This record gives sequence, C-alpha cells and structure tokens, in this order.
Amino acid sequence: MSGAGEAALREAVMSALRVVIDPELGENVVDLGLIYRIDIAEDGAAVVEMTTTTKGCPATSYLKEAVESAAWAVPGIAYADVRLTYEPPWTPDMMSPVAQQRFGR
Amino acid sequence: MMGASLSRWTMSCFAAALVAFVAAQALMVAGYGYPAAPLRAPETLLVVHLVAIGWLSLLMMGALFQFVPVLVAKPLRDPALVLPAVLCVLCGLAFLLAGFLQMAGAIEPGLPVLAWGGGLLVCGFSLSIWLLAHTLWQARPLGLSARFVATGLASLAAAMALGLAFALALSGIVDLPFAVALDQRAVPFHATAGIAGWLTFTAIGVTYRLLPMFMLSPEGDRAISRAGWLLGSAALALVVVAAPAAAFAGAGERTVALIVLAAGLCGCAAVALYGIDLAWLYRKRKRRAVELNIRASAGAFAALLLALLLLLALAATGGLAEHAGALVYLVAFGWLSGLGLSQLYKIVPFLTWLECYGPVMGRKPTPRVQDLVVERRDTGWFVLYFLGVYAGTAALLAGWPELFRLAAAATLAATLALVVEFVLARRLANVAAASRLPEGTRLPRLFIAGQRQG
Repeated sequence: MSGAGEAALREAVMSALRVVIDPELGENVVDLGLIYRIDIAEDGAAVVEMTTTTKGCPATSYLKEAVESAAWAVPGIAYADVRLTYEPPWTPDMMSPVAQQRFGR
Repeated sequence: MMGASLSRWTMSCFAAALVAFVAAQALMVAGYGYPAAPLRAPETLLVVHLVAIGWLSLLMMGALFQFVPVLVAKPLRDPALVLPAVLCVLCGLAFLLAGFLQMAGAIEPGLPVLAWGGGLLVCGFSLSIWLLAHTLWQARPLGLSARFVATGLASLAAAMALGLAFALALSGIVDLPFAVALDQRAVPFHATAGIAGWLTFTAIGVTYRLLPMFMLSPEGDRAISRAGWLLGSAALALVVVAAPAAAFAGAGERTVALIVLAAGLCGCAAVALYGIDLAWLYRKRKRRAVELNIRASAGAFAALLLALLLLLALAATGGLAEHAGALVYLVAFGWLSGLGLSQLYKIVPFLTWLECYGPVMGRKPTPRVQDLVVERRDTGWFVLYFLGVYAGTAALLAGWPELFRLAAAATLAATLALVVEFVLARRLANVAAASRLPEGTRLPRLFIAGQRQG
C-alpha cells in the first residue's frame, strides 16, 4: 500500500471512529483524544491503540468493542485489532479544540 | 480486561437503600423517634439504624461493589460473596429493627432478635469488608481514593464490633460488667466509627475519583489531600481505638476528654483540607457547565462545612450533648444523604445506559446518558431536599418538633420525586420513543443489572 493510500485509509478509519461516543462525556472518542495511534498494514490489518478517560472504567470493554467494529466496517480494512493502553494516561488537555470548546473552555 | 464490569447487585442495593430511606423519613414525618423521643430511646435507635444501615450503608456497599474496581483498576475479588453479604445485611437489619421494637415494647417475639440481628450484620459486613479489602490489597500501593476507602472499611469493622457488643449486652446474652460498661460509654465511639469513619471517609474517597471524572479536573495525589487523609485517619484512630482503650484501662475522664479533643482537632483540620481540595478541583475543571449531579452535590458540601462550624460552635459553648441530634441529622441527611442522592442521579442513568446501549455502541445510533434524565425538571427536587434539611437542622436546634416534621415532609417529598426519576431513567422513559430501543438492545430490569463480564 502506498503512503498516500495508507494515509487515506487511516483518515477513513479515524472518521468512522467518530461515531463511537464516550457515554459519560457524550463526545466522540476521536475528539476526546482517546485514539492514540492507528497503524494499517499492507494487507489491510489495522492496529488501533486507544485509552479511556479513566483506568478501570466499566465502559472500557464496550468502548474497545465499538472501536473495533467501527474500524472493521471501513472498506479496505481486513482486520482490526484494538489495543488498550494507559501510557500516557489521558488528560483533558488531549481533547481536540472542538471538544474543549464544547465543554465550555 | 483491566478493571471493572457491571456489578450485578449494585442496582439492587440502591433500590433497597432507597426503600429504607423513604421509610425512615416517613417515620420522622409521623413523629416517631427523636425529637419526640430521647436520643437513646429504642424508637430513635430504630430510625437511626434504618438510615445508617438500611440507607447509607447499603448505598455505600452498592457503590463500592461497582467503583472499587474502578478505583484500583482491578476486577472485584470473590464477586460470588456480594449477594450473601447483601442478604445478610438486609436480614440482620430486619432483626435489629425488630429488636428495637421489642425494646420499645411494641412487639414481643420471645427471641433475642437484637442479638440475631447483630450477628447477621456482622456476617454481611464482614463478607463485604473481605471482598472489598481483598480487591484493594491486590492493588497496592494504593492511590488516594483507595486509601480513604481502606480507612473507611477499617472503621466499619470497628463500628460493627462495637455494635455487636451492644446487641449482645442489650439482649442479655452477655451479662458481664464489661459489656454493660461498654454499652454505657462507647455509644459515641460506635457512632463516630460509623458516621465519620465508615460513611464519611468512604464518601470522600469516592468523590476524589468521581469528581475529577465528572468535571474533567486533574486527578492527582496532592500533598494537601494526603495530609487530609493522614489527619483524618489519626482522628479516627484516636477516637475509635485510643479513647475507648484509655477509658477501659481506667484512665480518668480528663485524659479521655483530651484524646477526644485531639481527635476533634485532627478531624476538623482534615475536613478543612478536603474543602480546600474541592474548591481546587472545581476551579481547575475543564468542564465549565457541570451537570446536575455536581451542582446538587454543592448542597452536600455546604452541609459538611456547616456541620463542621456547628460542631465547633457547640463544643465552644458546651452545647454538644444537648444538640448532638441536630449535628448528626445535618451530617446524615445534608452531607451523606445529599451526596448520595446527587451521585445516584448520575450513576443510575450511567449504569443503565451501559447495560442497555453498551452492547450496540458504535454499531447503532444511541441516545446520550444525559438523555435518560431531565435536569431542568429535577433541579427543583434537589433544592427542596436541601432546604428541608437546613430547615430541619434549624428546627432541631431551636427545639421546634412540629417544624422539624414539616421539614422532614419536604425532604421525603423530594426523595420520592427523585426515586420516581430513577425509575424513569431505568425504564428509559425520558428517551424519545424512536431511539429508545435500537435493534440488539432490550429494556433493563428495574433492580438487577444484566450480567456482562468484561
């Protein structure tokens, strides 16, 4: 896959992940800054590295599955593997300017 | 998965707790117990334990079964023990209340029901302490919130042990001078271990985790927070361990009073530091427009501050013994119950949302958690509740029992309205019909969460 193709696919995955809403904050996981990294291999296998706003949150498994199914639904993605990480831990400063504005900053 | 899944019995604990809270307030409106009866009368003890165990302890247990795994990011150990623990507490409470009715001469069961109640409560609380402490133990070193909870659990053990001694002594099962002396002198220590140690310390620990989550404030183990925990723990150790030990070792009243005074100073300093921390968390929040659960909590924090000022004023004027009832009422109904109702307003919709919509998240359009409640409609109920508590405290201080009953009627009406709101949230009644139950979802049961292991 060319660099441009991978970048376009990564952008498509990112766009698809905006439908996944963190239930507590009511904001999508991308604008909250919960998606740390998306890698897409030649064969269309995507690895998404994500976090949650709170370690041990009861919504964690739901969020992980939702991200996995949203990424997998993108045309060109053959497989999606979602990995959870807390390094670095999430802070509100990681939110996009749009999300920060919605929370009234 | 790292951390928590939905706790199956948390919603059941909340439901039982709310029933007990409504029942206790109905008794107060009817003029049962204090101030119509003395503070240590069986009728007052019945209402006090219905609030302290039936409402506040069951509420706290339900919350901890769900949130201790969040605090330590580890799953709950021995979750099969949760149901036996809750059933033992419920049955123990029923026997305990029957024991107080027996003491009041209202029933004559011919059995030592007070002692049975004490025994069952020890079983239920011991199981709860075991599984929560076991979960905390595997997550050492503990963070700030978990440390507060650990101290709260230790205080629960102390309150429980003293309570069992009272139950055995009052039932006549233990007929020893030690038990009689314990009953006479240790009631304030029992109450302090339960209200200040178990309930207040645990509530503070939970807020240190929940408030940053809800307000998007920085989570941190600040020196001021650690100092508050150390001072509070020292106060509890002095009043729950050192003072009773000194009393039973034959130390003079002056020595015991000095220990209690030192504990009081440490406790007041701890609460003051907590207040400073709360103000800091609020100032540093990223979420400018906070939700109703946070706005309503302000009434509870104000009650805690007022209780601190009232304690100092009563101690300075020598009126503590006379007005202890008003102080305990303000702490139990203003601070602990006010905080409990406020946070239930967030926790019930949040857990309901996860149970119903979590499985289809990202696959189907779902409503927001906020759509499960109607904040504008419910703000007035919290205002009514806290006004009722403040008026009730003033009525107790002024010695106006009829005004107190009126104030209790106001808090009861507000509580009932909020219970209706919780039921509506569980039934998804506030969600637009078109988006209420997307394909793949089902309506949650009212009292028992559907099991889903992460």
